[in-house]
Amino acid sequence: MTTHEHTPAAGEPAASDARWTDAARRMLDEAADDLDAATLSQLNRARQAALAASRTRRAPAWAWPALFAAAASCALAVLVWPVAQAPLETTPPGMIVAGDLELLAADAELALYEDLEFYAWLDTQQSADG
Amino acid sequence: MPLATAVWNVSDRMPSAPPQAVASERALDRFLRGIERRALRIAELSTRHREDALELVQDAMLAFARSYADKPEDEWTPLFHRVLDSRILDFHRRSTVRRRWRVWFGRSGDEGEEDPLEQVADPHDPGPMLRMADGQTRAALDAALRALPLRQRQTFLLRLWEGLDVAQTAAAMGCSEGSVKTHLSRALAALRPRLEDLR
Repeated sequence: MTTHEHTPAAGEPAASDARWTDAARRMLDEAADDLDAATLSQLNRARQAALAASRTRRAPAWAWPALFAAAASCALAVLVWPVAQAPLETTPPGMIVAGDLELLAADAELALYEDLEFYAWLDTQQSADG
Repeated sequence: MPLATAVWNVSDRMPSAPPQAVASERALDRFLRGIERRALRIAELSTRHREDALELVQDAMLAFARSYADKPEDEWTPLFHRVLDSRILDFHRRSTVRRRWRVWFGRSGDEGEEDPLEQVADPHDPGPMLRMADGQTRAALDAALRALPLRQRQTFLLRLWEGLDVAQTAAAMGCSEGSVKTHLSRALAALRPRLEDLR
């Protein structure tokens, strides 16, 4: 089998390519070294953000008590909050007034409810007489 | 002890992180500092815009720090490039979709966008000699690299600039080692006539 002069063996560039690939590599290095200050500053900020992300991700052993305390505080707040808010969940004042008015307007019916036992007794008497 | 006091006392102790955590953060800082400029250039050759490239590198750094910082350090370079490469691929997919929509809606690239034809290699390109004579060697190299298909360019940069071996490049690009060899062979064949006078 014949091999072309430039065909790289096993994924390696051929020796004849070494000169221009070395030059290309050198130029790429130079371009990377010549980045302007604004770009370098942005890269620095990106790196700091990544480091901060790695810090929070790790949650090392010494941070667990603090995390536990924070979680406990949150759980406590969730449990206590509904109880503290409970009075607010009673019937709204408008509804109370409306209900009272309805009762006051039905005085006759209230008297009927109060004498219900008497009417029941009267009914049994009439049945016995009848 | 009140809960708030307990929390305060714990947080007081936080800055005294174990030496191991400090050392690993320093190692991560050193690694990112060492790779960030080349990563930016690799992204920039694909996106053609510095701002887009910066965004991709920032995303890659964040994702790498969150997901792979606890891996052994000798695996960091291919892993970082795996993250960056996937972001570059996503960027290209999104760009392709955007271009397609622009074509469907009959919009041309006259709103500050680049002409898609500029992304096609010019067969009558005068070659590097002329442009090198004008002192534009680096621009000639950039143009030659940008004219390569994405996977060939990535292979060339990872293998010959970043110095990853075939297996590491395959891992970084999410393809087989055979594909890496094929991509590199084609990249070299495409670049050779344009760059072989480079010194």
